[in-house]
Amino acid sequence: MRTAETGARRRNKMERLERVGRLARGKFVAAKDVPAVLKRIIEPGDILCLEGDNQKQADFLANALASLDKKDLRDIHLVMSCITLPAHIELFKKGMIRQVDFCYAGPQGTAVADLVKARKFPVGAIHTYNELFGRFYVDLTPRVALVAATQADRKGNLYLEANTEDTPAVIEPTAFSDGIVFAQVNKIVDRLPRIDIPADQVDFVVEAPYPMHLQALFTRDPAAITEVQVLMAMVALRGIYEKYEVQSLNHGVGFNTAAIELLLPTYGERLGLKGKICKHWVVNPLPTMIPAIESGWVESVFAFGGEVGMERYTAARSDVFFTGRDGGFHSNRPMGQLAGLYGIDMFIGASLQIDINGNSSTVSTSRITGFGGAPNMGCQPTGRRHPTKAWLKAGAEANPGPGSSPGRKLVVQMVETFQAGRVPTFVEELDAAEPSIRKALHGVTPVMIYGDDVTHIVTEEGIANLAACRSVAERQAAIRAVAGYTPVGLKRNKRQTAELRARGIVQLPEDVGVRPSEASRSLLATQDIKGLVRWSKGLYDPPAQFVDW
Amino acid sequence: MEKFTKAFPSKPLKTTAGKPWALAGVVGSGNLEVLVERGGRPSDAMECHIETSIPGYKASWLAALADFAHHYPAGGTKVTINDQGAPPVLVTLRLRQAYDHLVKGSK
Repeated sequence: MRTAETGARRRNKMERLERVGRLARGKFVAAKDVPAVLKRIIEPGDILCLEGDNQKQADFLANALASLDKKDLRDIHLVMSCITLPAHIELFKKGMIRQVDFCYAGPQGTAVADLVKARKFPVGAIHTYNELFGRFYVDLTPRVALVAATQADRKGNLYLEANTEDTPAVIEPTAFSDGIVFAQVNKIVDRLPRIDIPADQVDFVVEAPYPMHLQALFTRDPAAITEVQVLMAMVALRGIYEKYEVQSLNHGVGFNTAAIELLLPTYGERLGLKGKICKHWVVNPLPTMIPAIESGWVESVFAFGGEVGMERYTAARSDVFFTGRDGGFHSNRPMGQLAGLYGIDMFIGASLQIDINGNSSTVSTSRITGFGGAPNMGCQPTGRRHPTKAWLKAGAEANPGPGSSPGRKLVVQMVETFQAGRVPTFVEELDAAEPSIRKALHGVTPVMIYGDDVTHIVTEEGIANLAACRSVAERQAAIRAVAGYTPVGLKRNKRQTAELRARGIVQLPEDVGVRPSEASRSLLATQDIKGLVRWSKGLYDPPAQFVDW
Repeated sequence: MEKFTKAFPSKPLKTTAGKPWALAGVVGSGNLEVLVERGGRPSDAMECHIETSIPGYKASWLAALADFAHHYPAGGTKVTINDQGAPPVLVTLRLRQAYDHLVKGSK
């Protein structure tokens, strides 16, 4: 019979630290010694967390890990937010990984699909961010966490600058369970601007030979916004934002919602909506929000992460953004996700595919991406109790039963009926439901947002109010009604569409007071990145790839 | 290249005021031009002439135009479309823009 040993885990940590010996001076490891240290602190069977999300990456540590051989690193249970770098894929190709639990694989989506086909991707599950962070405290607690910070001081305190993101969520469960925390930093300094992680939660620090990888993920060039997107933005503003008086919200990263942000100071102002909607945001510092912020629309913004180029702007607008005592921007992914789950009136985002029941996904057999954070916001939190006007109004439309919540979060999918290359957005069945994908995921179809959670779908054809539908058949008819000339849309029944329109479940642009002839790019507060810089009074520093002047 | 012509039943245009014709869009890659003119015959049909650089989508075109003629009183108009591979979502928008300009006389 096995009895509980006392302090075995702590002793194991001490053994690992002793193995490192003189390869570290105190907590500090020289860049050239990192592969040797990793070999000594990681054991076969470990749960290993490699920090990296859709923005910042512990890329130096990832590369060092990928440089090892299978004899030095094997049987690893990898837990990570995002599979983003070629080095991550290398770990699978080398056969080091026994199991992986993750959230998202954006840029490596194609490589992951190939690994699945080659049976080299032993996935536990694809998670949403908070779901994975939650499991860090339950059954996926890391033994070793490899993380990234901007700076460390001589004691090993860490400064995370604008990109706090996942770091505390990775470090805390590791540090408080006798795990090992190893941080790569851009620079070691005598005095930090502020301390984000205390030194006693950090075991090793390396000054990386190159700064950590940071992706400008949320920058949308207004020049690429189309007239169709402007039309959809106008329809959404009138038919949803105005109708429900949406006070607090999250926007996705697409051009559709960028168009809405840029219409607030122009079209929104003309409609008299300033001060009535869009006051509190849970969103990354989107450059396309600058005109609305400068026009006084926005009272607060809390962010999951930073955005390259927005550092000086966010620091200068400390009444709107959360900033530290050093004056610099602060973000936090798990807290942002929590805020987006419980605290907001509306989530609005886009998707690649929506099926006839309103389920959406970005997964196909050739590209396996995953979820990230959208489902944390794009869902009905049954633990919510506080009422707001929008929540109650949407709830009343959904006709709650005696055993259900009186309110509903607005969960809006905003899509054009076709993607690029005439690929229909609306389909009878999701590509994600493919048997080989379901098999790899233990029988689960990777659905981004479930149809039951969606309240509205907005397309260039109009709005379908799914929450107000009274049956599955009615919901399908409402979706067909706004699916345009896709095969799904062509199957709609004229009489049924007219009936849904009469009941306000389907609304065309003119039903919400939008004249399509007005849908012009000239309505946008600015037409290009240079305009955003001008609106910011020179405080926004767009990344080089967006600068053409 | 594909060319077709078809008339769709539609209630007669409400106003006779406004412009005799209206144009939306341009013939450019990924775009299309829609010309709507008054004085088509008969007054209870929308007469359409389509020329598109991408063949094989006739059914979608006809469905989109039929719906438009059904939703809006466009009888007695002649619609000429020159398409240079516009995404499907742009087609209805341009039609609505041209129609709006014709009826409301703006722009």
